Amino acid sequence: MNMQKHHQTKAMAILFLVEIFILVGIILFLKTEGITGTILFIIGIGGCWYIFDRFENLQNYLTSLFQGERRFAIILGLILLISLPFFLRSNPYLIHLCMISGIYVMLATGLNYQLGSTNIVNLATAASYGVGAYTSALLSVHLGISFWLVIFAAGAVAAFMGFLLGLPTTKTKDYYLTLVTIAFGLIVYILLNNLSWTGGPNGIGDIPPPSILGFSFRDEIVLFGLRLPFQANYYYMVLSFVLIYTLISQRFSFSRTGLTWNAIREDEIAAKCSGIHVSRYKILSFCINCFLDGVTGAVYAHYVCFISPENFQFMLSVMVVTMVILGGMDNTFGVIFGAILLTLLPEKFRIFAEFRLLFFGIIIIATLVFRPQGLFPQKLRKYT
Amino acid sequence: MELFIQQIINGLLLGCNYTLIAIGFSLFFGALNVVHFSHGDICILGSFILLILYGISQAAGLFNTLPALISIPIFVFTAVLLTGLFGVFFEKIVIKPFRLSPELMVLVATVALGIVIRETVRISYPQGSNPQIFPAIFPDGGFDISTLFIRYDSLIIFVSTVALISGVFLFVQKTRMGSAIRAISQDIEAAMMMGISVNITVSVTFFLGSALGAVAGILNGAYIGIIRFDMGLMGGIKGFSAAVVGGLGNIYGAILGGLVLGFVETFSSAFIPGGTAYKDVLAFLVVIFFLVFKPSGILGEKVFEKV
Repeated sequence: MNMQKHHQTKAMAILFLVEIFILVGIILFLKTEGITGTILFIIGIGGCWYIFDRFENLQNYLTSLFQGERRFAIILGLILLISLPFFLRSNPYLIHLCMISGIYVMLATGLNYQLGSTNIVNLATAASYGVGAYTSALLSVHLGISFWLVIFAAGAVAAFMGFLLGLPTTKTKDYYLTLVTIAFGLIVYILLNNLSWTGGPNGIGDIPPPSILGFSFRDEIVLFGLRLPFQANYYYMVLSFVLIYTLISQRFSFSRTGLTWNAIREDEIAAKCSGIHVSRYKILSFCINCFLDGVTGAVYAHYVCFISPENFQFMLSVMVVTMVILGGMDNTFGVIFGAILLTLLPEKFRIFAEFRLLFFGIIIIATLVFRPQGLFPQKLRKYT
Repeated sequence: MELFIQQIINGLLLGCNYTLIAIGFSLFFGALNVVHFSHGDICILGSFILLILYGISQAAGLFNTLPALISIPIFVFTAVLLTGLFGVFFEKIVIKPFRLSPELMVLVATVALGIVIRETVRISYPQGSNPQIFPAIFPDGGFDISTLFIRYDSLIIFVSTVALISGVFLFVQKTRMGSAIRAISQDIEAAMMMGISVNITVSVTFFLGSALGAVAGILNGAYIGIIRFDMGLMGGIKGFSAAVVGGLGNIYGAILGGLVLGFVETFSSAFIPGGTAYKDVLAFLVVIFFLVFKPSGILGEKVFEKV
């Protein structure tokens, strides 16, 4: 009994250290400026990942620790995430970065249902995200509907769009389906740019910020006697959305539906032979992905308060696909890691000014060449 | 009527351009089952290489003594050759490592390669973010056929495209290397067992495809007179669409797809009021329509799935 207790304390202590280490790492990474610091950090992240990946014992040990003390680890992680804005209080831009990473995490976990679970390369993320953003913006600007209702409308419209986009899956697949999604994304982009009621290239401005009980999200928030910039409101909102998305994603992953998607991914014909209605499940994954994208779009629109078609270009879809693939397909944790890394890296690369995107591209190619299965590949499910 | 014929000529020219890009996609897909997403950027790379060569020779006054009729083909030839070599080089670095991994990886890697090419062009060319004026490599003017005015550059574009495509056909159908390309596109392992060097064949394929892409980039740049570092993204997507509409992996299909796309775009901007803004929408709707009702493209072989 005593032995077990001792074991538990040790596990908690290690978890505590690991999570604190990660948090401090994130804060320092956000705060570093200058070329040497950034390069050192990138090498450091690479080193940590290498150690984690190389030593399977360590990997298994940490995973088992996490699974053993699940509740403790999650609560501690939450506390640390909530405390993050307090450390970045002096620089609202860094909180903004965290918030944007959250947005990308939402998009990437959404896409993971398709790309990771079902192996549909959907390059229309920008379209569903944009449709959600525009729906929410139009509804709240013209009809004055509250943000908290508008997000569902945005999700619903995007999901309907996803349904339409998913219909061709009954006939096409692979690259052909990818091209359908690319074409669809470009059509949405061009329409947003040219229709008069979407504001054309000028977009929509003056989107009202969300508010709870009269407290507008554009006001500074005072928590525990400390004044936080208004970005922190949005950070907390996105954080809660990310938690919900992760939860949904986990539930799906362990559900029959998730298993069915994986069956389709592994072998479509075998899945068909086992009585799976392949098209129906593919369309379902389109709908869910687009619904989540739509909600994300609404959150984004109400954060920046001004949207234009430039926010929803083809490259955004490519970026999200890259996040999922680089992080590790179908592994929620890996996808979250990929999304955060790929959001922060280009921002940090601003110090390289002109060479920012160039380095970014080179890093993606290098990572893929040396690690084709993504940084954190999914392990087989364990039903225990 | 005159307007109609003029639009047919325009559609044909656009179709030629898309066809040249689409043939590259089809060759790559045929050889390795990959979609080379940065192919459009390689095309633009070709036109920028020509621009650089032209700029250097202007500055050094190298070819001022030679008549344009000789010097410009030399430039074009060098640029196309260099781009072809670049294509081979990129294949070795970015596509070859993924020969055994899922096809998705190549897609993402080539998308990243596209970013790298675009950015390199933008950074290394002076004021590369701005549109660049392309040198007038075609003779001005034109001639009349009854009431119809045909510009020399249209004629050159059309003739050179037809000549190149015929050349590629002959190469693929009649030469030893061409049959090697066809062999690895049918069955890469069986081809290896027959003593075909896959590496060399793939390199030749990429050289051919990239060189054709460079020609497309140069012809397009010379025709519209302006190039921009990021034009390749859209060009690549259009070329890929053309290849898919016609049937990926089929060279006849690439021609057909390119022409379909070219005509749809030209006609919708010419004959639909306010259609210029929506010409791409219409083109992509046609693409989706084709894919839904003819999933393997117009000329694509029916794919039987093997268990």
